[in-house]
Order: sequence, then structure tokens, then C-alpha cells
Amino acid sequence: MSSPVSAPDALAPDFLKLVGVSKTFGNHRVLDKIDLAVSEGEVLVIIGPSGSGKSTLLRCINFIAAPDEGEVIFQGHSWKAMSSKYNFLANRKYEQKLTVLRSEIGMVFQNFNVFPHMTAAQNVMLGLTKVRKQSKDNARKAAVEALSQVGLAEKVDQYPEKLSGGQKQRVAIARALALQPKVMLFDEATSSLDPELVNGILEEIRRLAKAGMTMVVVTHEMNFAFQVAHRIVFMDQGRIVEIGTPDQIRKTTEPRTRSFLSAILN
Amino acid sequence: MNSYKFDWAVIDKYLPELLKGLWITLEVSLVGMAIALIFGLLLAMGRLSPLRLTRSVANGITQVFRSIPLFVMLFWVYYGLSLKFHVLFTEFQAGALALGITGGAYMAEVFRGGLLAVDPGQREAAMAMGISKSTTFFHVIFPQALRVVVPPSVNVYVGLLKGATIVSVIGVSDMIYVAQYVSLQTFTPFELYSVAGIVFVALTVSISGFAWMLERRLGRGRSE
Ligand SMILES: Nc1ncnc2c1ncn2[C@@H]1O[C@H](COP(=O)(O)OP(=O)(O)OP(=O)(O)O)[C@@H](O)[C@H]1O
Ligand SMILES: [Mg+2]
Repeated sequence: MSSPVSAPDALAPDFLKLVGVSKTFGNHRVLDKIDLAVSEGEVLVIIGPSGSGKSTLLRCINFIAAPDEGEVIFQGHSWKAMSSKYNFLANRKYEQKLTVLRSEIGMVFQNFNVFPHMTAAQNVMLGLTKVRKQSKDNARKAAVEALSQVGLAEKVDQYPEKLSGGQKQRVAIARALALQPKVMLFDEATSSLDPELVNGILEEIRRLAKAGMTMVVVTHEMNFAFQVAHRIVFMDQGRIVEIGTPDQIRKTTEPRTRSFLSAILN
Repeated sequence: MNSYKFDWAVIDKYLPELLKGLWITLEVSLVGMAIALIFGLLLAMGRLSPLRLTRSVANGITQVFRSIPLFVMLFWVYYGLSLKFHVLFTEFQAGALALGITGGAYMAEVFRGGLLAVDPGQREAAMAMGISKSTTFFHVIFPQALRVVVPPSVNVYVGLLKGATIVSVIGVSDMIYVAQYVSLQTFTPFELYSVAGIVFVALTVSISGFAWMLERRLGRGRSE
């Protein structure tokens, strides 16, 4: 597979943009003034050593971890962290608003995080009934549809304990896609899978890329990254070291990127 | 001791009273447990709050209420509240409330453990879908915590059931009260208290059996 022909215009109106996003745990600055713009339809792959802040960056995009500083701009709307924890009413209101942002941004995790006490269909239906306010019947139809799309038509009524890792991850993908998000975030979606199951999940991500889904993908699968990415971001110690097309990154002269790539490619 | 004559016929005669007493024991302990469940869950949620103030208050209440002997709690609720704050409780209400407060402090620990046992990734996944905090709690976190919580909750209940035997001191006519009252007339405390004891053993065993069944059913769809 060759690189995509043309990357979407990175300067297009703010579809998804991070401005000066920082996050500190204790006195460890995990994200340090991150600026990043993702345009509609773009596939952005984030690479970097363990602990460089890739997961934290994704989690700041949908405010699962609220940034300490900076803002996230999504579809022209700006989101910032609340300044006071003790302003209960304001916080409650803001938290409700954040659910709107989150429901537009799907997320898939390394550990699947499927709900073990619900069947595959129930996993998908929860968001449809509670967030999209669909009736049970409609949600069930949509859930079956979403699960069929990821090849789980036969497993609709299974509990996760009866599913393989790859199948659990498919449930998680279906669960996110059923809400028809505008952006998908993948955080090492294949890292805890047995090797023979990795390609199946990567294939699902490719399929989404082809369908024009905007995605931010954290992965260690470099071949996949080079094939699917419009742009690749290399992160180290909470900072963006370099952003470029797969070709630019492959030929980079930046020493840290080079040493990371040579370590991971061997 | 040698002169003590066993007279088991008294049991036959007073069985209806004893059973009535047993019923009241069950009632007071069940109402107490209901209070303990609600109070305990609130305390546990307080102890897991992101706000330090809420956490400290909930921690403090748990610690203090857990160390107050049930007997003392009972007196405080029954006499203390009415003397000082003119809150009048019936004996039954005071008994149930004392059991509920003490049991709640124990349940706080149980719920906290159960909620902490749920993988934080579960909350994140729900959050990431835009599911509200309360829906996340009731549909995702709590059902999973329940599995962990059931066995120790039954222990707390068994504790309350035994604790319920002291509500007789404020005059709740529970099984112990009946046994005491009857033996004052018949001079057969051994028989009466023994029967009460055996009934408690039977109850405890069946409750634990029930818990075991429940636990197995909740075990369905065990984690990944
Ligand atoms: N909730 C937290 N509390 C304290 N420290 C945290 C927390 N989350 C992340 N960190 C720290 O922040 C740093 C960055 O973590 P992050 O998970 O974002 O890295 P990563 O690039 O995703 O790494 P990996 O490739 O191992 O997944 C790490 O040093 C981690 O220990
Ligand atoms: Mg990570």
C-alpha cells in the first residue's frame, strides 16, 4: 500500500486544535505547551517513547484528563479546564457540556475497556440510549448493525468473557462508531493483542481511514503508521519534537526521531 | 447447677411469642441494613470524592462511627437525641437507626473496596462516550462493584442481626427480650436463650448460603 496521495489542508479552519495544552502530575510536567491542529479527514499518527505523554495527549483532547493550561478547539468551540474545583454548580454544568464534546469524539483504548457485565450489543446500546436518547429497539438495531460492520454479527449477545482480545477490541470500536463521532482517537489499540490478531484491528482502522474519518492514532506499529498516516507526530518528554508526512519522517535528520525510529524498526 | 431442671416444654408453650420476637429482630435488622446500605454508599462515595474536604469528612465519620460500640450508639440515639434535641424515636426506630449508623460505617469500607476494585478504564470508557457521571456510576461502575461487595455485605448484615439482640435493652420486644421476659416468669433462661441461639445459627447459615448463590449469579460476565 502506498502513502495517501494528498494530505488534507492542515491550515483548513479549526476542526480540532490544541493550543498551549499542558498537564502536570505532581511536579512531573507530562505535557508541555502542546500546539497541534488536525484537519477534517486527516489521519494523524502519534509516535514516541514510553512515558512521552502520548496517552495523556489523547486524554486531554476529550477532557478525560482535563488540561491544566491551554485550550482544545473543536469545530470552532473552545474548551478549557474549570479553574476552581469547588464551584460545584459551574462544574456540574461544565461537566454536562463536556459530555457533548466527548460524544462527538470516539476513543479506543489499549485495554479495550468493554463493560464485562454487558453483552456486546448492550455495550454498544448504552451510549445510544443514554447519550443519543434512542429507544431500546432502535438502539438494538443500530448496535447489531455496528457490530456487523466490524465482523461480529454472530457475537451480538455474547458477554466479553467469551470473546477473544481482538473481538473485544471490535466491540469497543463498534461501541465508539455507533455514536457517529466526528473524530476517533486510538490509543495503542493493538498493543495488548496476540500478534495474530493485530492485523485484523489495523485493518478496521484502515477501513475508517479510507472512509475519511478524522483520526488521531497512537501506535507502535511503524509500518502501519507510514502507510495510513497523512502526518506523523513524534513526541518526547511531553513535547512535540517533529511533525511531518511519512516521507519526511522517514528521511528526518532530527537525531531523537532518528534514534527512536532505528530502535523501533529493528 | 445440679439443681437446674431442664424444662423444654416451655419452648413449646411460648413458641408463638418467641417467633413474634424473632420477626421483630429480623425487621429491625433489615431496616437497619437498609439504612446502612444507603448511608454506607454515601460515605463511600464521599471517601472517593475528588474534593479533599469531602474525603476528610467522610473518612472521619466512618472512623468515628465504626469505633462507637453499638450499645453506646443505641443509647445516644434513643436517649441522647431525645434529651438533647427533642427528637423522639420509638424504640424500634432508635434500634434500627443505631444499627443503620454503625452498619453504615462498616458498609462504607465495603463499598469503597468494591468501587476501587473496578478498573478505572471502565469509567474512562464511559466518559469517553459522553455518558454522564451518574449513568456511568449506576450502569457501569456500581454493577461491577456489586460482585465484590455482596459477600462482605452479608457479613455486615449478620453482624447487624447479632447486634440487633441488644435492642432489647431499650425495650424493643425482639426475640431476646421475649426470652428474657418469659424466663423471668418460668425460670428457664437456659432453654430460652439456647433456642434463640440456635435460631440465630440457622438464620446465619441460611443467609450465608443465600449470599453464596447470589454471588455465583452475579459472577456471570466476569471481567476480561
Ligand atoms: N494519572 C497519572 N498520575 C500520575 N502520573 C501519570 C498519570 N498518567 C500518566 N502519568 C505519567 O505521565 C507520563 C506520561 O504518561 P503517558 O501515559 O501519557 O505516556 P505514553 O506516551 O502514553 O506512554 P506509553 O507508550 O507507555 O503508553 C508518564 O511518566 C506517566 O507515569
Ligand atoms: Mg500510552
